[in-house]
Amino acid sequence: MGEAIVITSGKGGVGKTTTTANLGTGLAHNKHKICLVDADIGLRNLDVVLGLENRIVYDLVDVVEGRCRLRQALIKDKRYDSLFLLPAAQTKEKDAVSPEQMAELMGTLKSEFDFIIVDCPAGIEQGFKNAISGADRAVIVTTPEVSAVRDADRIIGLLEAAEVYDPQLIINRLRPDMVRRGDMMDIQDIIDILAIPLVGVVPDDESIIVSSNRGEPVVLDQRSRPGQAYRNIVRRLEGLEVPFMDLEQKTVMHRLRTLFGIGGKR
Amino acid sequence: MTKEACVIKGNRHGLMLSVSEEASFAEILGQLREKLSAHRDFFQGAVVRLHSSAAFLSEDRVDDLAAVVHEYGMTLDRTMTLEDQRPQKQQRQKVPEFNLDDTKLIRRTIRSGQSIHYSGNVVVMGDVNAGSEIVCSGDILILGSLRGVAHAGAEGNAKAVVFAFRLEPTQLRIAHYISRAPDEKGPKPTGPELAQVVDNLIQIRPYGRFVKR
Repeated sequence: MGEAIVITSGKGGVGKTTTTANLGTGLAHNKHKICLVDADIGLRNLDVVLGLENRIVYDLVDVVEGRCRLRQALIKDKRYDSLFLLPAAQTKEKDAVSPEQMAELMGTLKSEFDFIIVDCPAGIEQGFKNAISGADRAVIVTTPEVSAVRDADRIIGLLEAAEVYDPQLIINRLRPDMVRRGDMMDIQDIIDILAIPLVGVVPDDESIIVSSNRGEPVVLDQRSRPGQAYRNIVRRLEGLEVPFMDLEQKTVMHRLRTLFGIGGKR
Repeated sequence: MTKEACVIKGNRHGLMLSVSEEASFAEILGQLREKLSAHRDFFQGAVVRLHSSAAFLSEDRVDDLAAVVHEYGMTLDRTMTLEDQRPQKQQRQKVPEFNLDDTKLIRRTIRSGQSIHYSGNVVVMGDVNAGSEIVCSGDILILGSLRGVAHAGAEGNAKAVVFAFRLEPTQLRIAHYISRAPDEKGPKPTGPELAQVVDNLIQIRPYGRFVKR
């Protein structure tokens, strides 16, 4: 019996889809059987980030409404045979699916896959309610911004109300240089507010945008720092203890600065 | 009405010998003799074309038929089989009849999430962006860029075409044929192109004066 993990945030644009794509690909790389579900009906993106857009014939709404069998709608990934995508419908509304239908679908998927990772839409309305229905646990994505953290806090409350307990936190787009200057919330500030366990910190990096545009998840790029961060999160989701990576760039200048006590952390 | 084992019919191409696939071969030969002997004078010197599926009639059986036909002073033309005719015939029946006037003209850009369904042809004066779809029973003409999904001949017309000034769709479908964009980025199209089904595959070629439909 598999486990359904919903990736959610409340606020838009914090990296839910990127996180879903990378964690799914990373888990599939580690030989797990994975199904990614795009619950963002009407604004689907996960297919694009995975580079699978051109393969879509049927979608989640078609499955729920019985126009096709589940197998027909599942798209096999280009790179991994054990990774599948259930794409969202683009031409429908969020209320085309009900939470009960989603829960039933999750039940079916759980019997076939090790992990089902659901990409939740932004917001707290119908789409959110659909996405968390049938989920066993949640991963909250936030960025080090007051507004994103505020929304994450709201989401954690809603998840508790919906009886999805023990959410874990991913802090995305962290810029160590800005944190050092005191221009960005640091990791501890965020954890103090949200009070949920941290499962990973992903540094901000240009490679994310490049890989999303190319449809190749950054988790496969061995040289990329966000890629390394995602690989660590994957191993933590598998239940392994992995130390958090040092996000500071160890250049000679930084070391000198630290030595003389200039520009270090406040 | 029981189906006859063999039938001799005349049409504008001449005489045609149709053989039923349900009957045994012995039955066919027997009936053929019966028919030919009944109208011996009528068939004298005629050429009769064979009309049956190649799978059913082996070379030996065709030889046997030719021998019987020859006994009655006729010759057998083996060139034509039912298989050659069948697909054409079926296709012609399937094609939905719609007037060329049944055309929807859309003078705007079709954006992601929008979908156009129409029974007839669709002409878009604008772009069709990725994430949108156009589904219709006839042809699709895009006077702009096609980046979304286009499904022409959606009710089974495999002769439907898709035309665009810049044909770079996510996916192309014509009747029950389907093709998708290559995963690697290729060169961008430089001129108008036409997509149509050729030899059971959707083919795209530059649209110009010398391109026949």
